[in-house]
Amino acid sequence: MTAMSEIPLPRAAKRVAPWWLVRHETMLAAILLVALVVLGALNNRFLTVDNLLNQGRLMTEVGLIALPMTFIIITGGIDLSVGSTVGLCAILLGYSWKTFDFPLPLAIVFSLLVGAFAGFFNGLVITRLKVPPLIMTIATLALYRGLAEGISQAHSVRGYPDWFYFTGQSNLFGVPAQLWLLVIAIVIAGVALDRTTFGRTLYAIGNNETAARFSGLAVDRVKLIIYTLSGFMAGLSGYVLVSRVTTTRSDMGIGYELDVIAAVVLGGTSIFGGVGTIWGAVVGLVMIQLLKDGLALTGVKGDATIIVIGAVLILSTLVASSLQKRRDSGG
Amino acid sequence: MTAAGPRLSESPAGAVVASLLSVRDIEKSFPGVRALSGVSFDVAAGEVHALLGENGAGKSTLIKIVSGVFPPDRGEVIVDGKPVNLNRPDDARRAGVATIYQELLLFPELTVAENIFMGHAPRAGFGRLDWRAMREKTKSLLASLDIHDLSAERIVGALSVGNRQRVEILRALSQDARILIMDEPTAALTEYDVTRLFDIVRRLKSRGVAVIYISHRLDEIFAIADRVTVLRDGAHVATKRVADTDSAQLVQLMVGRKIESLFPKITVPIGEPVLEVKDLERRPLTKKISLSVRAGEIVGLAGLVGSGRSELAQTIFGVTPAEGGEIRLAGKRVEVRSPAQARALGVAYVPEDRGTQGLVRPMTVRENFTLAALAKVAFGGFIDRPSERKLAAEGVARFSVKTSSLEQIAGKLSGGNQQKIVLGKWLANQPKLLILDEPTRGIDVGAKAEIHRLMGELAAQGLAILMISSELPEVLGMSDRVLVMREGRIVAEFSRAEATQEAAGAAMMGSALETAGEAA
Amino acid sequence: MTATTFPRAEADPRRLLRAFASQEALLAIAVVGLAIVVGLDNPRFLATRNISDVLLGNAYVAVAAVGMSMVIVSGNIDISVGALIGVLATISGTLAVDGAPIFITWMAPLVVGVIIMALQGAVVAYLRIPAIVVTLGMLSILKGGLISVTGGKWITDLPENFHLADIELFGIVPMPVFLMIVATILAAFWMRYSAAGRAIYAVGGNAEAARLCGISQRRTIVMVFALHGFFAGIAALLFATELRVIQSTVPPNLELTIITASVVGGVSILGGVGTVVGSTLAAVLIAEIASALVFIDVSPYWIRAVQGVLILATVIADILRRRRMAGV
Repeated sequence: MTAMSEIPLPRAAKRVAPWWLVRHETMLAAILLVALVVLGALNNRFLTVDNLLNQGRLMTEVGLIALPMTFIIITGGIDLSVGSTVGLCAILLGYSWKTFDFPLPLAIVFSLLVGAFAGFFNGLVITRLKVPPLIMTIATLALYRGLAEGISQAHSVRGYPDWFYFTGQSNLFGVPAQLWLLVIAIVIAGVALDRTTFGRTLYAIGNNETAARFSGLAVDRVKLIIYTLSGFMAGLSGYVLVSRVTTTRSDMGIGYELDVIAAVVLGGTSIFGGVGTIWGAVVGLVMIQLLKDGLALTGVKGDATIIVIGAVLILSTLVASSLQKRRDSGG
Repeated sequence: MTAAGPRLSESPAGAVVASLLSVRDIEKSFPGVRALSGVSFDVAAGEVHALLGENGAGKSTLIKIVSGVFPPDRGEVIVDGKPVNLNRPDDARRAGVATIYQELLLFPELTVAENIFMGHAPRAGFGRLDWRAMREKTKSLLASLDIHDLSAERIVGALSVGNRQRVEILRALSQDARILIMDEPTAALTEYDVTRLFDIVRRLKSRGVAVIYISHRLDEIFAIADRVTVLRDGAHVATKRVADTDSAQLVQLMVGRKIESLFPKITVPIGEPVLEVKDLERRPLTKKISLSVRAGEIVGLAGLVGSGRSELAQTIFGVTPAEGGEIRLAGKRVEVRSPAQARALGVAYVPEDRGTQGLVRPMTVRENFTLAALAKVAFGGFIDRPSERKLAAEGVARFSVKTSSLEQIAGKLSGGNQQKIVLGKWLANQPKLLILDEPTRGIDVGAKAEIHRLMGELAAQGLAILMISSELPEVLGMSDRVLVMREGRIVAEFSRAEATQEAAGAAMMGSALETAGEAA
Repeated sequence: MTATTFPRAEADPRRLLRAFASQEALLAIAVVGLAIVVGLDNPRFLATRNISDVLLGNAYVAVAAVGMSMVIVSGNIDISVGALIGVLATISGTLAVDGAPIFITWMAPLVVGVIIMALQGAVVAYLRIPAIVVTLGMLSILKGGLISVTGGKWITDLPENFHLADIELFGIVPMPVFLMIVATILAAFWMRYSAAGRAIYAVGGNAEAARLCGISQRRTIVMVFALHGFFAGIAALLFATELRVIQSTVPPNLELTIITASVVGGVSILGGVGTVVGSTLAAVLIAEIASALVFIDVSPYWIRAVQGVLILATVIADILRRRRMAGV
């Protein structure tokens, strides 16, 4: 090792994300600020602590699922079955308690396990049989919803004991209880993605799956984990949802896949894989929730807000892909 | 060595033959690589003209230019005495050029007739296809080549490779192609299919079709071609009449390159066997392979593309796990079922295709450097950033990677620097066996020399190295021992002293020149 | 050499067998077999009334599945079609109530359907956004748009002559069933025998080879989506004219039923393979199963689970089939 001197050792540069990602998130935050100000000016009930905290309560269910969805989309995959998994888990929670006489805590655990298994099944078929994630999860989108409808026969379950509603309805230190759950999950997911070998593997898979495999990374195992995690979080989201709305119905979680994917993509995660952060997904999530709320407060009916979400999904993908194109043409 | 051939507008025999297609002084560069420099070449009606050269000699680039896949930087293509612009595949088609690529471009779910007429089907008004005409034409095409065991309505996906190739040839003829380019047409064919292919080629010849025939197999060239042009390193070396040459001369023309740089293989004490492979099987391209590599030894694996070298490497590395035979590492029998397992066992593999298999191009230099050794810088799954940066910085320094910072996007570096990163990421893992697949392909001379220097150093430190290369001088210069593969088997072994370009080249080509050293 | 008869190409003995084992044949057998089995258990299942209800009530699914099959064969997907059918039906119904000429009320959904779908196709083809994202976004735009415009109110007081279902050809074949059959046959012939139809298979089966054959991938995709919009328009018309009212919502997850029909009908989800005859048979089969559940005393709430199992099984079978083919 002689010829080492000719090149100065590069200074360990400060850890920076690619410039355009920084820009995407800053841009998003700026838009968020403007939206906050405008909506606040339009309606004086908008910028109140109560309202904002309440919005936090409402966005928890989607938020919990958006975290593993970020992982999945970073690997270049997708999970469309999450909404149906929410419904299936909610139904199984209610039925195992009411019909099969499980103790309620056990019923909760059971529903979470079912969620995890639903995701594991997705992951298993995707990794073993190489069925594209989009197709596999469209199929289980139908299957899981069908199971929820079949098991429940469209009957709802209600009359849970009071303690059950704690997670969904009460406050802890002045903040909605489920928001704590979401915050903890965000921190764990954020650290896992940013700081661990697991997170690094996700980026490597999304950017070049073959090279990741050829580098000896456990590609299939990691994929199996994220789909299982997605099912588990959908189960958790189902529990939080039932706890908040006090009843269990088989149509719970319909359309969640849209909200979740829109939040993740709006947050700068590329639908083509390889790029994205948890922090971006959180900003996207908050933005969509505040947009919904702001529109509702200014008199737009609830159903119309999903028009905005749909448009946001398409436009943010367009912006991100044109930014990426520019980046790629740079090298 | 023969002097570079003259620009042959007259055939070497002196007879005036009107060339149907000729290319003049073609130059083509890709970022960082000069693929063709001033190549001229021509083919006459009713002639089979073979193109011969090692991988990377420029054959593919040349035929892609003639088929309109991309235009040349300089030079011209002349058809029927008139210069033509071939900017798109469609232009070439209109000029009467049809190309049959190695990977057949067929639609497996459609029928023979549909495949033949895809894109130029007979119409019957209102955009409707004239199916009757299509079937009739297909039948007469089949008959014109005396093919009776193929029907127009068969689904192509169910056909054998030989029959699929015939469908491609029919497609070319249905477009009234006068110039037919065949890229390694026999690579995947059985002997019987080869005979039938030659029948067809002779038939086409008699009809006045000009055939450009690319093959590595010298016996085929002698069987079918009228003239042969040898390319080397993107330059025209010679054009000969087949009747005036022999295998020995062609091999000499193909590989006879001056060894431009010194390959500093230092003689080091050879230790215990690190890798022993016995009767390793993984069909279709790994057949009963046995070999060993010792500590401190560099074993070169020569062979043409498609001879099964990379497949063998990927079987040892667990990408395509073995179906039979055994692998021993440091004397212990092991099962390697995934790259992750191979890595844990101390095997490193620097793959052939840097861009798709080696490097995660959109990620940073730092991230790429530590990708295979994350466990080294992580504690309980958490990556320790300071030690990660340290590891990456050490690698950058040790391999003299020219990068502006550790946070540089790896895909933006030059090929040589990218290759150093791929190599470096494995060494961070301190492997016992290093498999290098085309370690210096497409990189500049300076980087090449550095990689060779590093290989020497690594061997001196006791690493066992198995190196795959298509460049014979590299194999001969770097290796303690040379193995030659052909058609999935090891067909020859040479010691450093025995290994000459001619002997190794002949073994690779499987020509009559094959001499001592034959293993199987 | 010209006028001679050529020796016949060797006949393929497996061909007959293969024709039998085709997805279409299997589905036809399943449709008939299920009818017989359930009919033996409960003869009312085979009553003309029930058969006609099943066909009438689901003809629109089959027609929409024709367009969906083309989209999937081209290697794309569309999940906005359910919401689109709702929007188009409402447009048609509103025009009818407002007294527009019947011809206009029937044509409007076709025209709007083509425009909206062609637009989506253009975004997919020219801006390179995956179809799943475009159509997921469009699904929510259409659904939200529909509910906020109609406010959830049903459209009633439709003029008498608006109802296609009342027209019966030859006194027995209701118009919707006739349209379903005609649309299927025309589309099947078009896909099989026209250059543009074959281009769909080419683009979905081997995009690179299609390009080298001079087929424009982008134009083909826009064309496929536009046609899909056309069939969605017909489906919307059938949906709107089926009952005396038009609901402002379509059956939830209608798009899934349509996709299931296409996939179960033998359209490979990876593109390049499939026929619309199969998808229509599959749509009929799914409707038949739903009806049969009632007759054999199984709750109809299980129908979606059955759909899910069907689609999953077909997809996995398709993947395994392809793998075997690639392995040879």
